[in-house]
Amino acid sequence: MLPESRMNTFIIAQMAVSGALMGLVYALIAYGFQLTFATSKSINFGQGELVMLSAFFSLTLLDLGMPYWLMVPGGLLFGAAMGLVVERACVRLSLEQKNEGWILLTIIFGLLGFSAAENIWGRDDRPFPSPISADAMHFFGISITPLEISVAIGVFAVMGAIELFKRKTLLGKAFEAVAADRDAAQLMGVSATHTIMLSYGLSGMVAAMAGILISPITTVGPTMASALILKAFSVAVVAGLDSGFGVVVIGIVLGALESLTSFYIGSGWREAPGLILLILALAVRPNGVFGKASIRKV
Amino acid sequence: MKKTLIAALLLGMFAAPSYAADTIKIAITGPFSGGSAPMGTSMRDGAKLAIAEINAAGGISIAGKKKKIEVIERDDEGKNERGALIGQELASMGDLSGVIGTVNTGVVLAGDKHLQEKGITKIITPAAGSASMTQWSKAGVKDLSIFRFAADDGIQSAMVVEEAIKQKFTKVAILHDSTNYGVSGHDDLVDQIKKQRNILEIVTTQKFNIGDKDMTAQLLAAKSKGAQAILIWGIGPELAAVSNGMAKLGMNMPLIGGWTLSMSNYIDNAGKNGNGTLMPQTFIEEAITPKAKSFIEGYHKAYNVTRIPSPVSAAQGYDAVYIFAAAIKQAQSDDTHKIKEALENLGEPVQGVIATWKHPFSKWDPANGQTHEAFRRTDVVMGKVEDGRVVFADEADRQRLIKNAAK
Repeated sequence: MLPESRMNTFIIAQMAVSGALMGLVYALIAYGFQLTFATSKSINFGQGELVMLSAFFSLTLLDLGMPYWLMVPGGLLFGAAMGLVVERACVRLSLEQKNEGWILLTIIFGLLGFSAAENIWGRDDRPFPSPISADAMHFFGISITPLEISVAIGVFAVMGAIELFKRKTLLGKAFEAVAADRDAAQLMGVSATHTIMLSYGLSGMVAAMAGILISPITTVGPTMASALILKAFSVAVVAGLDSGFGVVVIGIVLGALESLTSFYIGSGWREAPGLILLILALAVRPNGVFGKASIRKV
Repeated sequence: MKKTLIAALLLGMFAAPSYAADTIKIAITGPFSGGSAPMGTSMRDGAKLAIAEINAAGGISIAGKKKKIEVIERDDEGKNERGALIGQELASMGDLSGVIGTVNTGVVLAGDKHLQEKGITKIITPAAGSASMTQWSKAGVKDLSIFRFAADDGIQSAMVVEEAIKQKFTKVAILHDSTNYGVSGHDDLVDQIKKQRNILEIVTTQKFNIGDKDMTAQLLAAKSKGAQAILIWGIGPELAAVSNGMAKLGMNMPLIGGWTLSMSNYIDNAGKNGNGTLMPQTFIEEAITPKAKSFIEGYHKAYNVTRIPSPVSAAQGYDAVYIFAAAIKQAQSDDTHKIKEALENLGEPVQGVIATWKHPFSKWDPANGQTHEAFRRTDVVMGKVEDGRVVFADEADRQRLIKNAAK
């Protein structure tokens, strides 16, 4: 056995790494909230169900014999399509009428998706096969699996790609313009409706990515995202609803804090740090740690 | 004229139940969905297989008239509040002969009091949590209509502790889920470790919740405190998360725990990480006797599977029905109170797939809970996960069962 102090360092490092990887998934889902919030000041409260539905859809593709690397774009397309459905069915009308109907409608859409999944795929948790190995590798006494590394790579890849798209392409610049000032962008000839559609499509794709990445670790079931989504929401609020960099940092911190809390204080206290962070952030920095103070003209 | 018609219609409505009396009504309850579903559906399907066999032979003969068994199914989803509602509903049915089932200890605790109040005979299977029966001993109930047909956690925890001692371990970690089942399993383990002369030292006790996927914190606590084995009480999906976490952290110590480690959703989700896991079993899906062979083949054929999701649950459901049917035959009545009397004093041995049951239950004695428990230590064997199936951990057990059946 190792001496006590070295053992402790290893444990802290292992807990932090395992937690941080989980935190990256919170960050990815939180990023999905940010995308739609940027353009339309609305978010999809059924985002967790999009994660779950996309995971089930991808699993079905695999069951039908589709190879993994073809399934990924298939799952992402499904997610994007679902995002567009949410936008059309639950968000567009209420935004046109400038009311908050989208809150209730997106929640209802989520419930509908949940029941649909229960009826189509059943209520059991199912394994999600992945070609990426789940055998641990050891770095300096810390165990980590290629599957976990793939989650990290996937999260950074999809967020990086979307950020690049926003900065380098014409469509992306339109996205940024609508995010900055919807009315001004519209006067310049940018269609706000199309941009909002784009943001919901991207947000659905991000949800699908989260589902495909996390499923091999957590299994697929109708309730798979219900715990994740609350954490993701905390992350989005604590980080601020307009900072992509912020959600990654807060996601990692929250994930690591959860692991360490459950080790040092007790496994029953696991959920506490997320809630405490949320309360602190709302009390001290209501716009989020990385958020910009909003100036509201009256 | 109109009035007579309505009267006739009303009369017809009320008269209808009299046809139903031609059948014997038995309710089967359990979680047919959710994390415990492999146990619930296997128990139900095993029971229905036995009922189909009995009905195919014409039914059970009561006072010279053959009556078929009619099944009433209720899905409790493994939720305590659903269990309470179903208990109330079944208790209010006037013509119910009995109830077979329930998987989750919490559901037993929530629902059975309604049945006991009306004296409705129930055979609990496969719920194993000790509290399901000790609640009645503790309350000092004089007349009990609840029986159990499962290896209770007292027996199981004793076997788990024995196994750890047999493998020469001295330091163990206990992991358990936060449900009634997990908590009462933890208490049984602690109790057994004390009874077996404190040879095992519990270095840490860790809890997890239903739905938890990341067990790193709990496992690291066990690893850092030098545990040589993990004793565990939980259900399929979370048990799999523990096995997968152990593999990731390079913890090669054995996982020993309650019979739920044989659930298909543990074996499938843990994959190769589940190999070597040990758990007490009342039935192993291996055709070692002619009776076992015909049962396994019958199940595979009837439900179009190549592996029973939970063989223990299926075999217990099957045998419980035959024991219940024997009681009906002996009582010569479908009255639930008379069936209870007969169950407490079964004359003829019942040929089951697990064993031949001679006098499985006796008159309830609150000072001795064993009176309403069918299983003894010798009816239970150690099972081991091996490449996606549960096999005999000890060849001697296998030979013993073959020999018993030949007698």
